[in-house]
Amino acid sequence: MALVRLLNQSVSQKLIAASNVSVTTVQLKSFTNAPLKDEDRIFTNLYGRHDWKLKGAMQRGDWHKTKEIVLKGHEWILQQIKESGLRGRGGAGFPTGLKWSFMNAPPDGRPKYLVVNADEGEPGTCKDREIMRHDPHKLIEGCLVAGRSMGARAAYIYIRGEFYNEASNLNLAIREAYDAGLIGKNACGSGYDFDVFVHRGAGAYICGEETSLIESLEGKQGKPRLKPPFPAAVGVFGCPTTVANVETVAVAPIICRRGPQWFAEFGRERNTGTKLFNISGHVKYPCTVEETMSIPMRELIERHCGGVIGGWDNLLCVIPGGSSTPLLPKHICDEVLMDFDALVEAQSGLGTAALIVMDKSTDVIRAIARLMEFYKHESCGQCTPCREGVSWMNDTLKRFQRGNADPDEIDSLWEISKQIEGHTICALGDGAAWPAQGLIRHMRPVLEERMKSFHDNKQKSTA
Amino acid sequence: MLRIATQKCCDQLPSRFLPFLSTKSGAAVATRRHQSTDDKVEVFVNDKPVYVKPGSTVLQACEIAGIQIPRFCYHDRLSVAGNCRMCLVEIEKSPKPQASCAMPVMKGMRIKPDSDVSKKAREGVMEFLLANHPLDCPICDQGGECDLQDQSMMFGSDRSRFLEHKRAVEDKNIGPLIKTIMTRCIQCTRCVRFADEVAGVSDLGTTGRGNDMQIGTYVEKMFKSEMSGNVIDICPVGALTSKPYAFTARPWETRKTETVDVMDAVGSNIVVSTRAGDVLRIIPRLHEDINEEWISDKTRFAYDGLKRQRLTQPMLRNKQGQLVTCLWEDALPFVAEKLSTTEGSKVAGIVGGFADAESLICLKDLLNHVDSEGLCTEELFITDGAGTDLRSNYLLNTTIAGVEEADLVLLIGTNPRFEAPLFNARLRKSWIHNELEVALVGSKVDLTYSYEHLGDSTTTLKQIADGTHPFSKRLKDAKNPMVVVGSEVFSREDAFGVHAAVSAIAQNATVTSQTNRGDGGADWKVLNILHKVASQVAALDLGYKPGVDHIRKNPPSLLFILGADGGAVTREDLPKDCCVVYIGSHGDVSAPFADVILPGAAYTEKPGTYVNTEGRAQQTQAAVSPPGSAREDWKIIRALSEISGMTLPYDDLEGVRSRMSEVSPNLTRYDAVESANYFKQAAELAKLAKPQLVSKPLQSSQLSLADFYMTDSISRASKTMAKCVKAANEGLTPDL
Amino acid sequence: MGSFLKLLHRQFVVPWQEVVKTIRHNGASDGGYFPVLRGFFVQWARFNEPKHGKLVGTDELGNKYYENNRYFVARNRWVDYNKETWNQMWDYNASQVTPEWHRWLHYMTDDPPTKVPPTSRPFLIKHKRNLTGTKDCYVPYSTTRPKIESWKP
Repeated sequence: MALVRLLNQSVSQKLIAASNVSVTTVQLKSFTNAPLKDEDRIFTNLYGRHDWKLKGAMQRGDWHKTKEIVLKGHEWILQQIKESGLRGRGGAGFPTGLKWSFMNAPPDGRPKYLVVNADEGEPGTCKDREIMRHDPHKLIEGCLVAGRSMGARAAYIYIRGEFYNEASNLNLAIREAYDAGLIGKNACGSGYDFDVFVHRGAGAYICGEETSLIESLEGKQGKPRLKPPFPAAVGVFGCPTTVANVETVAVAPIICRRGPQWFAEFGRERNTGTKLFNISGHVKYPCTVEETMSIPMRELIERHCGGVIGGWDNLLCVIPGGSSTPLLPKHICDEVLMDFDALVEAQSGLGTAALIVMDKSTDVIRAIARLMEFYKHESCGQCTPCREGVSWMNDTLKRFQRGNADPDEIDSLWEISKQIEGHTICALGDGAAWPAQGLIRHMRPVLEERMKSFHDNKQKSTA
Repeated sequence: MLRIATQKCCDQLPSRFLPFLSTKSGAAVATRRHQSTDDKVEVFVNDKPVYVKPGSTVLQACEIAGIQIPRFCYHDRLSVAGNCRMCLVEIEKSPKPQASCAMPVMKGMRIKPDSDVSKKAREGVMEFLLANHPLDCPICDQGGECDLQDQSMMFGSDRSRFLEHKRAVEDKNIGPLIKTIMTRCIQCTRCVRFADEVAGVSDLGTTGRGNDMQIGTYVEKMFKSEMSGNVIDICPVGALTSKPYAFTARPWETRKTETVDVMDAVGSNIVVSTRAGDVLRIIPRLHEDINEEWISDKTRFAYDGLKRQRLTQPMLRNKQGQLVTCLWEDALPFVAEKLSTTEGSKVAGIVGGFADAESLICLKDLLNHVDSEGLCTEELFITDGAGTDLRSNYLLNTTIAGVEEADLVLLIGTNPRFEAPLFNARLRKSWIHNELEVALVGSKVDLTYSYEHLGDSTTTLKQIADGTHPFSKRLKDAKNPMVVVGSEVFSREDAFGVHAAVSAIAQNATVTSQTNRGDGGADWKVLNILHKVASQVAALDLGYKPGVDHIRKNPPSLLFILGADGGAVTREDLPKDCCVVYIGSHGDVSAPFADVILPGAAYTEKPGTYVNTEGRAQQTQAAVSPPGSAREDWKIIRALSEISGMTLPYDDLEGVRSRMSEVSPNLTRYDAVESANYFKQAAELAKLAKPQLVSKPLQSSQLSLADFYMTDSISRASKTMAKCVKAANEGLTPDL
Repeated sequence: MGSFLKLLHRQFVVPWQEVVKTIRHNGASDGGYFPVLRGFFVQWARFNEPKHGKLVGTDELGNKYYENNRYFVARNRWVDYNKETWNQMWDYNASQVTPEWHRWLHYMTDDPPTKVPPTSRPFLIKHKRNLTGTKDCYVPYSTTRPKIESWKP
């Protein structure tokens, strides 16, 4: 274990050295990836072993001194969040403090809103639902704190339609919070009025994109809006809005309580804090677990999931951040750290930190083709590259799966995915293009081998 | 012009964030904000500096720099959707290419529309668009005027690598006017936005998602709009094409004649496409002050009425009482003989809605020559008070474009949606962008925008005039109010009473609006008459008497009917021995009881002058020649005068027009609005005659869409219009 | 000497014999007005060369077919049109030749139909001359509808 740790440290230093970040401006802190101690866990009821209702939540420390936090004012809260280095947990990893501070433009009479994106539809991801069904008060308290930091009048929690139980728990928790005077008029006795509403979606992946979530919330078709204007200028019902992920919102109160320095202890510089990781696929014990950022992937899998089935050497590849990030082959997985910057270095992304582990029994082409079918089904159809391109890629990958293609078409697929990437209104186009790009980047020999055997078989059968 | 420019600029703001329907105030706020900013922003297009208004888009900046950015979903007069992605351009310091139609310019922005990144992006988008677009250009009606075709030639790749199956989409039936071939659709949603924003009928929408997204009506129904045909023009591909024009011609085979429409009094500018003497279709022509780039469905599709029920040979009634064809050499001397033997006071003429000013002046000169004063228009108007002596009494004085400056409109006894669809489109545009408020006294109808219905009784009118109605207060507070009276109210027995009340309302509002605006100038005109037929203003300008009362009172022995098919005079109204001479293009209402028929030309067949309801003289051009032996109307009358021995002193078009300008100079000042004045005097004169109001409600005859299609001799002869009426009344059937 | 006489005979006698034969031949073909000379002149005008020959046969229309191998090939077979054609003087036409005789006349075969009768087939229709220029000729007419429909009272 120590060896692994040493190895990882050296790797991370190598990665940092390779990045273009100038050492003089960014003070890199040394970090240890010791296992996250229980007292440092934020989501202490992640597995639902305790009472999720208000009483249990308060025992776990929720709603503790929330009034004081609210009374400190938005400047203070924003300062805490900024110092903690919290980055958005929804996938893009935008610095949260900065994002929330956009809302503090001079008031123009319009109310402001916080919209919580609980439309967790990314394949492989199952972190927000754990929060909502087992720790809903964390989210509600987070709504109040985050809402206060941006002066929001109300929070809309847009919850995925399929999360029926989660929505029920959340609604119950909100009721409890209202009854206890924690939210609503004069929330927590702070004199601040704040409402929380739950809106259930109808089952479209695209509604997890912030602007289409806003459209959907307004009762329209869930189709992304053009940016600019950004939601912070014109959002839900034409008012300034911030859309934030459940996890981002839920960790805000504890940062304010325990201080940004505590939160910043974990993980590398610019990738601080703890994070919920979801590990699924070919591991012994698939799970959702809270760990520090920048934990080496191998350690994460081996410490919490009992390792890859058949041993680490049986690993084929890992999709590190939910279905829309490019896969990483074993030789990268050996050393890569689970944080935003390291995974970008490795030409992938942290995304929602949902690892999909595939061992050598996997037909990786089929896996990616299945993901593409998902994206084809979930494309909203508004803008051309995604509408036409994703179904084209889907058709092509279906043929690749059988090998019924020419090796030249691999380059053609690469180009098509590049024509989608960056040309669409929302990020779904990019997210759909990346899995295919990852496949081609790392699994090209597999593709070529498949095509060769298909053509050989065909020749044999005709001969 | 400046006003229109600023207006346009505001229109083109990315209005996704200034939503059209939900937050009207957003748009208005933006309008004011941008009007106050005068300085311009410097941006660089291909390193060339250009100065554009702040708030313009990158696409507009490129256009100012003379670079055309390809686009499909973007349209000047619709909100920005930004979904086709064809207009992607590279902008320095931006990590990925931006949709130029939606991207507002920023100071010092460096736009690179010709860079490799931009070109590659376009080529990629074009490849995607073509991937599922069928290769049926050879059988597509859009061929030759297809944006996709043109732009794929300009910006696309020269080969395809699409090896998968193409998508096919079921066609939709949306009525007898628009043919849909939905496989060709590229989902630009221009039609959806047109229906929502301009037509005000949210019949179209998208269903399904991803590659299965379709444009349609969800349940099969007719696209119920009086302006539906415009989606054919704005569709960048051949997904929406004209049903009557299907498989008729290619655009390069046709000859285009730029002319003016006469189906209503708006005078929309149109292009008539002809081939081998056959009118094939009618499409709109840009005129910012009248029709922008839209036309109504009647204008666009009633042209097949020009080919049916036509009078092609002169006819004479024989001894058996039957109309039989004859030669001009038989018909003209017959009429000439009658004319020269009949006493002047026994000669009269009625003119209908399609009469051009040239034939009006000829008929007037001829009848005046025989000392007849019986020259009437079929459309009614008031004759008491100032009557038609003051032009301000019978014009749409604010002008159509002036609607965009108005802040309060009071409609009286009219349904502008069907009487003048493009005027109504202006009202709607102003309602969306400028927070125009509309109130209506008259039949409660669907105007495509919300308005305050003040009832349909004349009492309301009287109350508003007295200032006792709550609405008077709002009229008083308005800065730029408009009072619009439909010409239909003048067919009431208390027409003069209504007009007097309206004049009083308008005069009060004029005074208050001047103080409200604080400029004291009298350039804002409040009183407006919305006419229904194209010839009326010119006829009144030339001194025709409105209405046929004169003829009823003085039964004529010789009656000329110049295309009057409104049924104002029937055989029963005339003495037994009266000789009726019908000059016109269609055998409709009046031709069957005529004794002599002299076939005239329709509006596509003659160069004629028409004055629209705002007093703007415009001329039609001959796109085809009149059918058979038919001749231009003024030439028939001129020939008749010569045979009767009363030769009119002009024998060519220039001669007629110089005579026209002698009588009313505005008739030959083409495309200029000759504004009227003396509102105050007219209102004073109206008071003098002590008008009375009766309690009959103010009603409009065109209440629903089915009433819109067939209103005159041309549209009544049109099969297409008949199908529309059927579809609007009974719903869609497969044969429609 | 003998050859000289032959030459004289060929040069001066045979032509006259031919003229007489031709006049006689053509006279026989016209029983009309000027029994002798009219036929001769008509043939002269039609063929540029009045000919005489052996009657090979007559077709169903009454056209007579002659052959005289004294003339070189392509002039040695000809048709003498029937009575009606005679009356019409110049209105004759190659399509008046019936198909079975056409073969022989155009050297497709040397056997005239009198010698080898054509096989009759049920689907064969009766031969009809080309009617162009006659009162029965085909006149094209428009099948399109008029572009303008006139009003009928």
